[in-house]
Amino acid sequence: MNPPFYRRYIIITIICTILATAVVIQMIRINYTPYAKDLIAVSANYQGIQTTIIPPRGTIYDRSGHILATNKIGYEVAIDLKFVSDPESIASAVADHINTVDYATAFEIANKEKMESDENRYFVIASYVSEEKITALEELKETYKAKRIETNSAFPNLNGLAWTPMQQRAYPEGSLGANVLGFYNYFSRESAQGVHGVEEAYNHLLTGLPQKVFLPNDPNLVETLPEIEPGSDLVLTIDREIQMMLEETLTEAIAWSGAENGTIIVADPETGEILGMASTPSFDPNHYEEYLNTFPGNTPFNRAIGTTYEPGSVFKVITMGAVFDSGLAEPNTVYNDASGVFWVDGLPIYNWDGGAWGEQTMLGCMQHSLNVCLAHVAVDLLGQDLFYDYLQAFGFGRSTGIDLSGEANFPLRLPSDNQWVKLDLATNSFGQGIAVTPIQMVMAISAIANDGKMMTPHVVKSVVNGEEPIPYTPQVISSPVSSETAHTLTEMLTISLEEEASSALVEGYRIAGKTGTGEIPTEFGYTTNQTNASFVGWGPSDDPKFIVYIWLEKPTISQWGSEVAAPVFHDVVEQLVVLMRIPPDNVRLGSNQ
Amino acid sequence: MKKNILQAYKQAPWRVQLQYIGLFLLGLVLVSAIMGVYLSISSQAATTGRRIQALENNMDEINNEIAALTTTLAEKTAIKVMQTKAEAMGFRTMDVNRALYLEIPGINPNADLVLAPPRVNVLVEAPILREAYRTTLWDWFIEQIRFASTGFSQDDQEVSP
Repeated sequence: MNPPFYRRYIIITIICTILATAVVIQMIRINYTPYAKDLIAVSANYQGIQTTIIPPRGTIYDRSGHILATNKIGYEVAIDLKFVSDPESIASAVADHINTVDYATAFEIANKEKMESDENRYFVIASYVSEEKITALEELKETYKAKRIETNSAFPNLNGLAWTPMQQRAYPEGSLGANVLGFYNYFSRESAQGVHGVEEAYNHLLTGLPQKVFLPNDPNLVETLPEIEPGSDLVLTIDREIQMMLEETLTEAIAWSGAENGTIIVADPETGEILGMASTPSFDPNHYEEYLNTFPGNTPFNRAIGTTYEPGSVFKVITMGAVFDSGLAEPNTVYNDASGVFWVDGLPIYNWDGGAWGEQTMLGCMQHSLNVCLAHVAVDLLGQDLFYDYLQAFGFGRSTGIDLSGEANFPLRLPSDNQWVKLDLATNSFGQGIAVTPIQMVMAISAIANDGKMMTPHVVKSVVNGEEPIPYTPQVISSPVSSETAHTLTEMLTISLEEEASSALVEGYRIAGKTGTGEIPTEFGYTTNQTNASFVGWGPSDDPKFIVYIWLEKPTISQWGSEVAAPVFHDVVEQLVVLMRIPPDNVRLGSNQ
Repeated sequence: MKKNILQAYKQAPWRVQLQYIGLFLLGLVLVSAIMGVYLSISSQAATTGRRIQALENNMDEINNEIAALTTTLAEKTAIKVMQTKAEAMGFRTMDVNRALYLEIPGINPNADLVLAPPRVNVLVEAPILREAYRTTLWDWFIEQIRFASTGFSQDDQEVSP
C-alpha cells in the first residue's frame, strides 16, 4: 500500500474520531447543563399518564331481575386549542348540538388567540352529552371532511373538538322506587357517591375498588392493566310491579284525600323484606339536579323511614299485644267505660267521639278504638314499667336498622327521664305523645303477623359479587310477644274489621287491621283539626304474607283514618293479592273451589 | 511450510493489512447482526405494545357499548313502557274477582330469583407478550443449548395477544 493512500486513511480516521468525540461530549454536556433537570421533567410528561381507573358501578335489580339502576355512556366534550383551525365552525356545531353551550361561549373558547395567551389549551365545555348528540357531531365532522376534499379548502373544519366517553348512572325505570334507590351524583366526578337510599347505604359495595395506574406512551413499557374489581350488584327485595302499584295508588289517594303527603309500605312479615315502599315527594333520579327543587329545606327524602309522627290508634295494636302477652287481659276481658273519660293526674282523656261506650270487651275497645279503654289498660293493668319494657321490646326508641340511608329516630321518653309525666303513659297507649317512623310501626306490628317474631326490615335481598351471590339472611330482632298472643291479637283484629264492616276489607280474604287517627302537635298543643290518617293491616289472617302500612298526612276530605286510610288499604290489598299471587281464602284453604 | 508463509508475508506486507481489515469487517458484521436482532425484537415489541393499547381501547369501547345496550334494553322493558304496550295490544289489568287459580305441581311462582353471574372482563393470566419478545439473547441462547442437549422443551404456553 503506498504512503499517500495510507495517509488518507489516517486523516479520515482522525476526522471520524473527532466527530464521534464531539457527539459524546455534547451528550455529556446536555446532561449536565442547568436546563437538564427541566428537560428531564418535561420528558417525564411524555412518558405516559397517571390515571385512576374507576370500575363500573354495580347494577341494582328488583327481586325479579329487572334493572332499577345501571350505567350508561355520556361524553365529555372539550376543545383542544392545539388542533383548532376553524373556531367559527366549532362554535356553530357545538351550539347546534349541545343545549347547554351557546355560540358565543364556544367561539370564545375556540378562538385561537386564547391558545397564545393562555397556558391551558384543553377546555371542557360540556359533560355527560348523550351518545346521539355525539354521533351527530361525528357525522358532521365527516361531512365537513368530505366538503374540504371536494372544495380543496381548509374549511369548514371541526378539528380540535374532542369528546371522551365516561360512564354515568342511569335509572331506566325513571322515578319508580326513587325514594328507595336514592341517586348517584355522578356530575361530581372524582367525589361522586351515592346519596340517600340504597345508593348511599351500599355505596361502598356498589363503587368497587378504583385503582391508580400508569399508562406509558413507550410501547415497550406497556403492560396489561391490573384487574379492577367491579362494583357489586344488588338484588333488592322490591318488586317493581308492587312498587308501581303503590306509587300510583298513593298518587291517587293524595289527590282524592287532599293529603299533603303520604307513605305506603308493603313488607313480608316472615322475612322483613320490603316489597314496596312509596313516599312523597318523589322525583326522577336521572335528573338529580332537580333534587333541591323537589326536596326543599328539610323535606325528608323518604318519609317512610325519615319522618317521625304521632301515629294515633294504630299504636293500640302494640298496647293490646303487651297486655295480652303479659296475661293481664284477654279478648273477652271487660272494661266499663261508664263516663267516657279517664283521669290521669287530674287531666282527662276522652274517646275520639267524646262519648261513653259502657261495658266493652277488649275486642270492642279495639273495634271502636276507645282511648279511654287503652289508657286504662296501660295505666291500671300494665303499669309504666311493663308498658315501656314492651315498647322497647317492640323496638321503639331506636332505629330499625333498615339498610337505607337517612333513617330517623325519636328517642322514647321513659319514666326515668325528667320530662316524662304520667300522662305520657296514658297517651302513649293510643299513639299520642310518642313519635315513630312508619317503618318502626311496620317492624313492630310485623311481630304480631309473624308468630311473635320481629324481623329486621331490609331492602337488599342479595349482593352479587363476582360469581357468588351472597343472600341476605333474615334476622330476628326479638320476640316481643308469644306466638299465642300474636295469633290471638290477629284473630281479634280480623273480627274487629269484619264486625266493623270496614272499608278496608277485601272480598275473599280475611285480614287483620287497625285504623289510626293521630292529632298533630303544635307548639301550643293539639290545637288544630289536622290529623295524620293511618292504617295497618296484614293478611291472610291465618298465614300472613304481607303487612301494609298507610300514612296520609293532613287529609282534607276527612280527618279519620277509617274514612281516608282504610279505603286506600283496600285498594292496595286488592291489587297486591293479585301481584303476589295469593288466592282467595276459600281457594287457598281448599274449602271451596 | 512455515518458512514459506513467513516469506510470502515479507514479500507482500499488504497481506497483513488485509487480515486486519478482514477481522475488522468480521467484527462489524457480528455487531450489525446483534444490532439487527435487537432492532427487530424492539420493533416487534413496540408493535405488540401498540396492539395491546389498541385492544385495551377496544375493550373500553365494547364495555361502553355493552353498558349502553344494557341501559337501552332496560329502558325499553321498563314497567311503564311494557304496560303501555300491553294496553295497546288490548290487555287489561286483571280483576281480582275474576281470577282463576290453578295449582300446578312443582311450580313456585314466588321462587327466589337466580341471577346470572355478572359480566366481568376475563383477563388471561398467561403473559400477553410472547416469550420471544421478552427474552434476552443470552436467555434465548441458553434455552437453545438446553433444548439441543435434552431434545425436549416445555410445552408452548404462549398466548397470542
